[in-house]
Amino acid sequence: MELTLNHRREGDKTVLEVGGEVDVYTAPKLREKLVELVGEGLYDVVVDMTKVEFLDSTGLGVLVGGLKRVRSHDGSLALVCNQERILKIFRITGLTKVFPIYDTLDEALQDA
Amino acid sequence: MSAVELCLPADVQYVGLARLVVCAAARIAGMDSDRVEDLRIAVSEATTNAIMAHRRSGRPEPVMLRFGTDDQKRFQVTVVDSGPGFQPAAPEALNGRDWRDESGLGVTIIRGLADEVRFERGEGMQVSMRFALELQDLGAEDAADDLGSQSV
Repeated sequence: MELTLNHRREGDKTVLEVGGEVDVYTAPKLREKLVELVGEGLYDVVVDMTKVEFLDSTGLGVLVGGLKRVRSHDGSLALVCNQERILKIFRITGLTKVFPIYDTLDEALQDA
Repeated sequence: MSAVELCLPADVQYVGLARLVVCAAARIAGMDSDRVEDLRIAVSEATTNAIMAHRRSGRPEPVMLRFGTDDQKRFQVTVVDSGPGFQPAAPEALNGRDWRDESGLGVTIIRGLADEVRFERGEGMQVSMRFALELQDLGAEDAADDLGSQSV
């Protein structure tokens, strides 16, 4: 399945909707998009992963890279994810303690 | 073990095919759907590592996946490459990783998802993973803690 990436502004946040499969083949596109957003001065990002079908460590690495990038500008990167099979790999790698993870986009926008 | 072998070009675009084929075989073997999701991620990690090992060392040869159900009704997947191999880091305690370190996440995930995993370095790397066909009564955190049963 192809990776889909769409972003929009929601108040002072940038919502990046990710869909499809994020693996070693597609993750470079996600990395490029995060670099592009930071390059445009958009440092507070909410990555909406509701439509992600698959994510492995390559995708996690890209998100970690994105988090480091926005934090270097005093920004933030929050995630929206309610799929157990994806949350499981965040728990295994300890990244649930690093990323703010919300069940819904509304919660992320209110709190992030 | 009645096994299927999949010879995969060392190109990252084929990692998705590896996931698809191995998971289809696991379903045929009777693996439950939650367990298939664990398998899908672990296969992706091991296959990615193998293909990247060939790419980094400029090896054009394919990587090999062998998979099937063993005598104890466990699904076994072995991923073999002929790259330089690597020494996996010692298993870390849950939440013991430095989150800024983006390397080694795949090995951590494989260890957290498979019931048993063996990393063997010879003239390349061989990663063997075993999965019960049904999800054991362990949460992800317990499974990640249960590293004592793994061969590394």
